[in-house]
Amino acid sequence: MSFTQQKEDKEIEEALVRDLQAGNLEAYDRIAELYQKKIYALSFNLMRNQMDAQDVTQEVLLTLFRKINTFQGKSAFSSWVYRITLNASYMKLRSKKKEPNISIDELLPSFNGAGFQQEKIQDWSGSTESLLFTNETREVIKKAVDLLPEKEKVVFLLRDVEGLSTEKVSEILDLTVPAVKSRLHRGRLFLRKKLSGYFEEYSSPKGEI
Amino acid sequence: MICCKECIDLLFDYFEGSLEQETKNSLEEHFQDCPPCIAFLNTYKSTTTLCRETLNQIEIPDEVRRALQNFLKEHKIQQKKM
Ligand SMILES: [Zn+2]
Repeated sequence: MSFTQQKEDKEIEEALVRDLQAGNLEAYDRIAELYQKKIYALSFNLMRNQMDAQDVTQEVLLTLFRKINTFQGKSAFSSWVYRITLNASYMKLRSKKKEPNISIDELLPSFNGAGFQQEKIQDWSGSTESLLFTNETREVIKKAVDLLPEKEKVVFLLRDVEGLSTEKVSEILDLTVPAVKSRLHRGRLFLRKKLSGYFEEYSSPKGEI
Repeated sequence: MICCKECIDLLFDYFEGSLEQETKNSLEEHFQDCPPCIAFLNTYKSTTTLCRETLNQIEIPDEVRRALQNFLKEHKIQQKKM
């Protein structure tokens, strides 16, 4: 994003906040227009359930309207929106039974004593093209992301899927930049391992005719 | 020469383009002699792309969109009454 674009977005946000705080009802629609897709997509990716994501989106919009006077502008408005979305999604997830998280360490690469790769690494990156748009592949990817432990998942969704900057993610989650980077890296390693199991099967020479 | 473990620890910053030139050089030197790390590098990169392309296409379904619109309308009516 260019500097002027960022500056413009910031001005739009600030005007919107002023309108909302002044009780301007038209600002409601503009807030919904600007943020509902982001709110819905993030909560859907966290919960993987349409009804729950709809509930969360409504709840977040309502919270934005009701709590706007508590927003002090210490962080960007959009960061505030993401934080409220995450809280509402986690509340919802907590009320449901959840599978226990698997340990991420099992899925990190293993090395020998000298620090060299121990397992055989297959390069499946060239063979994903034809598989990318099949439903099966999509399901595999979604399942892999669902299995990510919460800490890594939220960083991955905000940074790699939403495309926010590392700095922005650190503001939203109140983490240091190095902590964001390290969680993201671990998350990617976890996903790589999960996806490898699937893609290696398809790109192995045995499978070719 | 750096080992594979160090190499994988550096991957994140390598993709960010935030490595110092010297570190970047030793990393690329390692890649030249280590096909497994090249495979790792490629699949690490593909993983991010694949997951992004799969997950960032979420659109609000029409029925949800309508429900949200109604919800907002209701809420605004309530606000006006207050
Ligand atoms: Zn290596």
